[in-house]
Amino acid sequence: MTMEVDILELSERSAKFILSNASAAFANGVRRASLSDVPTLAIDDVNIYNNTSVLFDEQLALRLGLIPLTTDIEEFVPVEECTCGGAECPACKVSLTLSAEGPRMVYSGDLVSSDERVQAADQNVPIIDLKEGQKVVLEAIAHMNYGHKHAKWQAGVACGYKNMPIVTFENCDECGACVNECPKNIIHIGPNGAEISGDDILKCILCKLCASVCEIDAVTVSEDEKSFIFTMESDGSYTVQQLIINAGTTIKEKASRLGEILESL
Amino acid sequence: MLPVRCFSCGKVVSNVWEEYKQRVAEGEDPAAVLDDLGVVRYCCRRMILSHVELVDTLAPYQ
Repeated sequence: MTMEVDILELSERSAKFILSNASAAFANGVRRASLSDVPTLAIDDVNIYNNTSVLFDEQLALRLGLIPLTTDIEEFVPVEECTCGGAECPACKVSLTLSAEGPRMVYSGDLVSSDERVQAADQNVPIIDLKEGQKVVLEAIAHMNYGHKHAKWQAGVACGYKNMPIVTFENCDECGACVNECPKNIIHIGPNGAEISGDDILKCILCKLCASVCEIDAVTVSEDEKSFIFTMESDGSYTVQQLIINAGTTIKEKASRLGEILESL
Repeated sequence: MLPVRCFSCGKVVSNVWEEYKQRVAEGEDPAAVLDDLGVVRYCCRRMILSHVELVDTLAPYQ
């Protein structure tokens, strides 16, 4: 059976889709790859020339690091994998500068990038609230790296899946107990007893309260082990579509590398 | 300052703080404002709900 993908929602930053005819191992592979194996750019070196704000240098650097930067996966590579051999060339490093004087709020949009393709994904992330006379002057250096190294390089946010729920009603006596018990309010009494209609089944959280409250054991709750409801969000460094494609590519690359190693034995 | 990202899931939450603060001060229901701003998971909601702004308190002691 071939794998199928049915997209339920797709926007710039978030996606919801059903992956069917796939194994749990594969679904988990996609989830893990999008969380930890898709490289992104993030600030990880900061040269602070002046900081008289209320935040310590380290706190300021942490806030800068967590700001998502728009990334083109074709254009940049992690420093360790770059052909420059760690010398930090324009293919593995981007420098951004920030210079501001109070009183005002400094936003991520105030970062001036040396490469126009690399900008803060959200322009309105507050970095520091400068009071009268306070100053911040710094140079931030962004590198490409992987989510498993630090959460700031994590391109996928809240990527997860659940199995497709299967709820069946047999010989229902229409007592209505399950209708009242369901926390998601998706069960209703139809012509042939209790039922869940249409896409409402996707909202089921497999809590099994309906099964436990049924006195005649008419309700059975199970899950389809070959079908997964995925939710994925991107932090803004890529669109969620690119994120899923990149996750698939990294899995493919790893598999082919394994194949090469095995062949050379 | 509100942490840039949610501690648990990693979603950027600090960019909604100013609007949230303003709208709640104008008397709107915090839950409805958070829903409207797209902060739906409870991990992200607690970041905003439990935040105490300290910048103004600390500013005179620099």
